[in-house]
Amino acid sequence: MFQRRSRGQKYTFWLRDGFRDGESEERIKSYHRPHRRSSMQKSEYTCDHRPRVYKVFENVAQKYDIMNDAMSLGIHRVWKDALLHVMHPQPGAQLLDVAGGTGDIAFRFLEYIRLQEERQKRRAARSSQTPSWQDISNNYSTEDESRESRAVVCDINKEMLKVGKQKADSLGVSAGLSWVVGDAEELPFDDDQFDIYTIAFGIRNVTHIDQALQEALRVLKPGGRFMCLEFSKVNNPILSSIYDAYSFQMIPVIGEVIAGDWKSYQYLVESIRKFPNQEEFKGMIEDAGFYCVKYYNLTGGVVALHSGFKL
Amino acid sequence: KQSCLMGFASHKVLKIVAAPSAVNPQCSNLNRGFHRAALRLQDESKSDKPPSSSSSSSSSSTTYHEHYQATEHDTAAEASQHDSASDPAAEQPERPNTSYQDQSGEHGEEYETEEQLQSRILTAALEFVPLHGWSMEAIAAGAETLGLSSASTGMFYNGAGDLVLHFIAHCNSQLTEILAEQHKQVQLGQAEPKKTADFLREAVETRLRMYIPYIETWPQAMSILLLPHNIPDSLKHLSSMVDDIWYYAGDRSTDMNWYTKRAVLTGIYNTTELVMLQDSSPDFQDTWSFLDNRIQDVVNMASSAKQVESRKNPNLICGLET
Repeated sequence: MFQRRSRGQKYTFWLRDGFRDGESEERIKSYHRPHRRSSMQKSEYTCDHRPRVYKVFENVAQKYDIMNDAMSLGIHRVWKDALLHVMHPQPGAQLLDVAGGTGDIAFRFLEYIRLQEERQKRRAARSSQTPSWQDISNNYSTEDESRESRAVVCDINKEMLKVGKQKADSLGVSAGLSWVVGDAEELPFDDDQFDIYTIAFGIRNVTHIDQALQEALRVLKPGGRFMCLEFSKVNNPILSSIYDAYSFQMIPVIGEVIAGDWKSYQYLVESIRKFPNQEEFKGMIEDAGFYCVKYYNLTGGVVALHSGFKL
Repeated sequence: KQSCLMGFASHKVLKIVAAPSAVNPQCSNLNRGFHRAALRLQDESKSDKPPSSSSSSSSSSTTYHEHYQATEHDTAAEASQHDSASDPAAEQPERPNTSYQDQSGEHGEEYETEEQLQSRILTAALEFVPLHGWSMEAIAAGAETLGLSSASTGMFYNGAGDLVLHFIAHCNSQLTEILAEQHKQVQLGQAEPKKTADFLREAVETRLRMYIPYIETWPQAMSILLLPHNIPDSLKHLSSMVDDIWYYAGDRSTDMNWYTKRAVLTGIYNTTELVMLQDSSPDFQDTWSFLDNRIQDVVNMASSAKQVESRKNPNLICGLET
């Protein structure tokens, strides 16, 4: 079984100086920048879900990927691949994956870009004739100038990021990947930084979703894309009843068997039910200031992929 | 005209660019006014790039903003099109997707609608077509020249098809302008009316010459147009172009001739386009002589058919002779 953290160990929100005490643990590199807004009152934090959400994911971090496979019967991979397919990132794009946790989206993003670049090189090689020395030397100089694509994984929970880093090391992926601790409602990044902002199965855990959407709008470049993968309402009544039965009866059981944590997965299923449906969420995204908002239903509405642009 | 409504009901980008081709010639002044206004919008948008410049002092942008607010609550796209069509000096903004766009001046760069932004991106992408082909890379490069991130290419759900269809619509509207201009010249008595065969020849040649800068990648574009989900749109563009050419050639027929004439011209146009793809003569001379021969064939066929039929049914074929 995985290790349980001892009680009394609090997490360091080290971006807000002196707000909470914490242990000095291995620091994961972050973008250190002073917050624009003044720090919030402590009472606001204790009234929201953040501590609870933090505990849930702290407990399940080690088994997160296995649990995903078990609960969704492996279909979560299809969902994440669909997200990448719709995203269709161009080489040179900068991705911010919020609530990225173990880094699934970031790995897929880097792989996609790598394949795109290979395909482009192959196409260029096929079409060009034998290049002259002038052309070859020009190519050398332009290769460095083009922007390298980068993926930043941001999560509120250090345990999840640790697991993600271990995965990255084992896969041998390190170039263009960063791991940042941060809160979706107050991202530690400057304005107009990223081409694509994704949040996969994370936004339902955010207390103030509209604030998270505002932050997404802020850190995106003009023309940037916001993409959100989240559980949503199933419209088909037959599928809905099967889905409900599976959610409330099977998932906590699986959670207890594999991760030893019934309550966390009970919380998971309930938070899915409380989340607004596709149209409402689309309205929220539009209210935050995104344009061309569209959603795709995956697996009959079990998961919805919302996409909006900052124009 | 029927094609007018088809244009409204279909792909949103075409509403902007294809509208002129579907409008009657007495609105040709309006078309040019629209074109000028579109150019002015492009200039304004380039100068207004910093988003906080919503308080730009140019009067044209404020009138646009007011007009934009006025049309914001139109529920029927057709209604907004007809309303704005009567005001040549203003933009033709599309019905916005969200209702809050005019509430504050914060969205400085949103004085245009999404469709207009999309057509701007596609126009900018056209210059990258010789380099990247008709593909999402060209659209991404075009978006970047406008200062937008390459992720904005996700707006184009049809991808390369959007780019090709935009280009076709653009060419059609250019052709319509040229034909309308010539028509006006003839009306004013400054030019001689041409014979039908010559008129058709020149119209098709003008239209095909617009492909010359992209002739290397044109086979790719044609293959994209033949994809099943693009066929309805490409056929619509083709038919509206052929319709326009015949209209300006003076065809006012209301019987079977309407169909036969357009079918004939469609055949001529398509075959000439294919010949042009593999033509390597200087300035495509072979293509134009092929075009001459085809039109001559049709004229001969029409006149001989007329001679045969004239005894039976004098009204069957008319208009193609001389």
